[in-house]
Amino acid sequence: MSVELSQAGQVLRATGLSAGYDGRPFVHEIDVEATPGKVVSIVGPNGSGKSTLLKALVGVVPVLAGHVTVGEDEITNLAPERVARLGVGYVPQIDDVFPPLTVKENLEIGGYLLARHEVSPRIEAVLEYFPRLKGMMTRKAGKLSGGERKMLAMGRVLMLSPSVLVLDEPTANLAPLVATQLLEEYIRGFADHGSTVLLVEQRARAALRISDWTCVLGGGRVVLAGLPQDLEQDPIFVESFLGGATHH
Amino acid sequence: MSAYAFYLATIIVYGAVDAMACMALNVEFGFAGISNFGFIIFQSVGAYTAAVLSMPPAATSNGGFQRYVLGWNLPWPLPWIGAALAGGLIALPFVFLVGKRLRGDFAAVGLLVSAVLLNLLVKNYVPFLNGDAGISIVPAPFQSLWNPQALAYQFAYGAVAVVLTILVYFLLRRITESPYGRSLRAMRDNDIVADSLGKDLRQQRATTLVLGGMVAALSGAILVGFISLWAPGAWGYAETIVLFAAIIVGGAGNHKGAVLGAILVPLGFEEITRFLPPVGNPTLVPALEWVAIGLLIIVFLWFRPLGILPERRRILSGQPRVKSRAPAEAPEDGGATIRLGNLDELDMRELLRIGEQPGDDHVVLSVEGLTKSFNGVEVVSDVSFEVRHGRVTGLIGPNGAGKSTVLAMLAGTLSSTSGRIIYEGRDITKMPSHRRAQAGLVRTFQLASEFKKLTVLENLVSAIPRQSGDSFWGSVRGRRHWGVEDRANIARASELLEGFGLSQYADAYAGGLSGGQRRLVEIMRALLAEPKVLLLDEPMAGIHPNLAHRIGDQLTRMAHAGVTIVMVEHELAMMDAYCDPVIVLAEGRVLAEGTMAELRAKSEVVEAYLVG
Amino acid sequence: MSSLGFGLITAAVLAIATVGFTMQFAVTNVLNLAYGSIMINSAFVSYYLNIHGLNAWVSLVGGVGTGAVASWALNRFIFTPFQRRNLAPITLVIVALGVDLCGTFGLQAIVGGGYVSFHQSQGQEYHFLGMFLSGLQLVIIGICAVILGLVHWMLKFTRLGKAMRATSANASLARNSGVKTRWVISATWLISGALCGLAGTVFAMNTGVFEATSAQLYIVLLLAAMFLGGPGEPYGAMLGALTIGVATEVSAAYLSPQYKEVVAFLVLLGMLTFRPYGIFGSEKTI
Repeated sequence: MSVELSQAGQVLRATGLSAGYDGRPFVHEIDVEATPGKVVSIVGPNGSGKSTLLKALVGVVPVLAGHVTVGEDEITNLAPERVARLGVGYVPQIDDVFPPLTVKENLEIGGYLLARHEVSPRIEAVLEYFPRLKGMMTRKAGKLSGGERKMLAMGRVLMLSPSVLVLDEPTANLAPLVATQLLEEYIRGFADHGSTVLLVEQRARAALRISDWTCVLGGGRVVLAGLPQDLEQDPIFVESFLGGATHH
Repeated sequence: MSAYAFYLATIIVYGAVDAMACMALNVEFGFAGISNFGFIIFQSVGAYTAAVLSMPPAATSNGGFQRYVLGWNLPWPLPWIGAALAGGLIALPFVFLVGKRLRGDFAAVGLLVSAVLLNLLVKNYVPFLNGDAGISIVPAPFQSLWNPQALAYQFAYGAVAVVLTILVYFLLRRITESPYGRSLRAMRDNDIVADSLGKDLRQQRATTLVLGGMVAALSGAILVGFISLWAPGAWGYAETIVLFAAIIVGGAGNHKGAVLGAILVPLGFEEITRFLPPVGNPTLVPALEWVAIGLLIIVFLWFRPLGILPERRRILSGQPRVKSRAPAEAPEDGGATIRLGNLDELDMRELLRIGEQPGDDHVVLSVEGLTKSFNGVEVVSDVSFEVRHGRVTGLIGPNGAGKSTVLAMLAGTLSSTSGRIIYEGRDITKMPSHRRAQAGLVRTFQLASEFKKLTVLENLVSAIPRQSGDSFWGSVRGRRHWGVEDRANIARASELLEGFGLSQYADAYAGGLSGGQRRLVEIMRALLAEPKVLLLDEPMAGIHPNLAHRIGDQLTRMAHAGVTIVMVEHELAMMDAYCDPVIVLAEGRVLAEGTMAELRAKSEVVEAYLVG
Repeated sequence: MSSLGFGLITAAVLAIATVGFTMQFAVTNVLNLAYGSIMINSAFVSYYLNIHGLNAWVSLVGGVGTGAVASWALNRFIFTPFQRRNLAPITLVIVALGVDLCGTFGLQAIVGGGYVSFHQSQGQEYHFLGMFLSGLQLVIIGICAVILGLVHWMLKFTRLGKAMRATSANASLARNSGVKTRWVISATWLISGALCGLAGTVFAMNTGVFEATSAQLYIVLLLAAMFLGGPGEPYGAMLGALTIGVATEVSAAYLSPQYKEVVAFLVLLGMLTFRPYGIFGSEKTI
């Protein structure tokens, strides 16, 4: 990358986290930690609370118990815009772009917190990373294809030079080859350049391949956590996807 | 003394008219969820119709100084009957505005604007209803025989008005406290879901508007017969707001609340201002009245939105009152702690009226070249597959693969861009969703879809098809007509409820249950809809695996009994255990089909999607 | 042809009003039926400044300020608290109607029912292209055109304008990008409120004689223009206002002038029945 797209990462840590809407916890007592230069992935069946966990970390879902910290800062239940200010970039699973705004404007909003003169060079840098977007600057984001949209979503979050990247199912909707490229080149690349990466993935195998640490969620709790190579051998891991045995 | 007596007679008539109008609006808004901001149109139509039917022809009467249509000089009660009919007729064009899936607030604004438009037209086109001056010297009933100025006449008039209001009260109550009323309230609480259970929304809304229109028109006829005059100034759109305020204050969804609101607001307010001393300029007091109405609306909606007499909970279970208080809330744990009841002992075929013979594997539902585009982007492309009788067919794929979209098109919730859907040999591609449900093609929803302000039992019973009380005329015929059948339905639903271990929630509002419990209610409700083909949209999402397996076992029993099931799911464990075949979608296309074992052997499937 | 001239002035005022109205809908998802009452209150504030000695154009600023503050307060103290309660959208509409009643008739209680008019000269009559417009009207059209240009510039080229559009499109994502959506929403209500105040005042100036309930039915024209262009779309609002403004005046020339609003009504009902997302919108935008 020509310009450093991500700052040196910070540690993102959740301890004893319980979170959910309307005072009802959907995830319970979660402990998870993501460190700079590493990819931590969270996998599990639908409804196991993966998305809710991410949303709780960035302030979209209320935290009912426990703590979330970024580096030295406590961000439990902090407003999302202030979490962003602390360098945490979040890409939701759906509604990940501003459809009526152009590609350029999407990136500009991504750079909302930057000083005026920093925006253009930053956009240049992001475009180096996602060259396909170069020819689409005036196109409305709602008109992009699935893969292009995801790139724009990533590009938007990179505008911030985030030190922590929180990604919710980044490969959803993508063709297998594109998905693989996104995971293995880009996302792994962010970590290799020093950022902290926490991602939720449905394609568990693909996620394991690029992760340094993996947590398996079931019924709103962590049922298993460890090194990817260990998990792959673990019969409980295999079963929790194929045999539904997420008893605890 | 007699001045007070005359005043009392006037109050009685106004009170009855206001109560009647509020009850009608309450049925539309409080029970059926139709925000009829143009309500005043209907009362006016009644008043004008009664006027022009009872008056002599325009040209010859009173020197011809008024211009209006008709003028048939009809004796009472014909003008009032004509008024009611007119009120019903004029409701029909408005069904277009509310019948479709238009946002409630948009439709309401359309109705408001219609009221303003009609007022403008009547005001300006003089030959129709005498324009801005309105119609005056409207004859009172029997005025040639009995002097309408006499006190006795006025009390008699008041008595007739009150009697009619009481009759309307009983009629409306009979309609709303019936299976049909239940369907109206279901429509109010969640119209998409009501539609998916076979309720004909357009017909229900049309019926409600016509009924409300007739009652409103009758109230207008009664009023115009008493005050002898009706002009556009009396029916600006703001009059509807007064009636809405009355219902909000009194209690939406409660007939007595509507009557109370009518007495407090349109009647109470008007009369209080009569006694205030004239202070300031002449517009001050009326203006302050309007300010007070506005404040009343805001204050009540903030502090007591349900009104003074809120909607009552309907206790169906026959359990003693004490027990039917809602039990303590269940924890949000995906149903891990739910103890199912004696499900396995229940005779499902009997309970769910499964008429089908167990699976002979014929094709019951097939899809050919199904495609759906949004904004030029194809989310489902050329999907074709067959669903065989008595099987549990799984539909899987990554997020965004189009599974839920396909399911929605099968159910009719979404229209397809191209392609065909064949059900039991018939092409149902163009069939609306409620008719598909009536034909046995029933779906569930991924997100919360219970009828929140109906009890759990009401939720379940509302799904049962072909209830004799679930039609307008059925409800009018009263409990004698549908009571026995309804009790039998309630018993069936209660048995199923007990089987699923949720009896103690029978009379609790469905909106107050935990996520796992609500999901069970939804499944039970779909089963009671007597499906031939059950379309389940991620039924296990967020459900603890223990419970999910119990549900899966029941689904298998259902399938063996003859119900065909199509299930969209993420939980691959569920697919393994219960589904055969399984269809894999990716990027809007069918990728592969087979048992899970077969699919796992296919590398492209594994590559695209599978874990192990 | 002269009706085209009337159409222009009507359209100009309507455009300002509709852009403000649609911005409020875009960012809060509420049909602010109290808009008309804020318009007329702004007009009266401006009028009172005027009759106490200020030049009409200077007192216009007072009207603009009133609209801005009143609209901001309406959102801050009424709409936002009610919205936190997760009620059906229809409840907010009813609340807005309640506010409209308080605003319009509260004003009438204070100022009385009589007609008033600004102390300002109509200016010369100008004839061109078959249109007859007074100097006053030309100034109004000029002000409106300039303000619309400023709104366009703001939305397209300023940080705040892009933040406003982002917040309307996806408030959650905007927050995740660091946008303080609460401030943006407040700013939107201030700006759209200023437009409301401006529209109300020039509406009153153009109407000549006005009283507390003069703007009560303006909401219909507003809704027609907004739904024609698509709810929540500022550019659609400008186009919708131009169409409705011209159409109502031109139809007045051919039909009886009392019925000229009928065109607006019919357009509105037609759009709501067949295309509630506007001419350019699509089903997904609602």
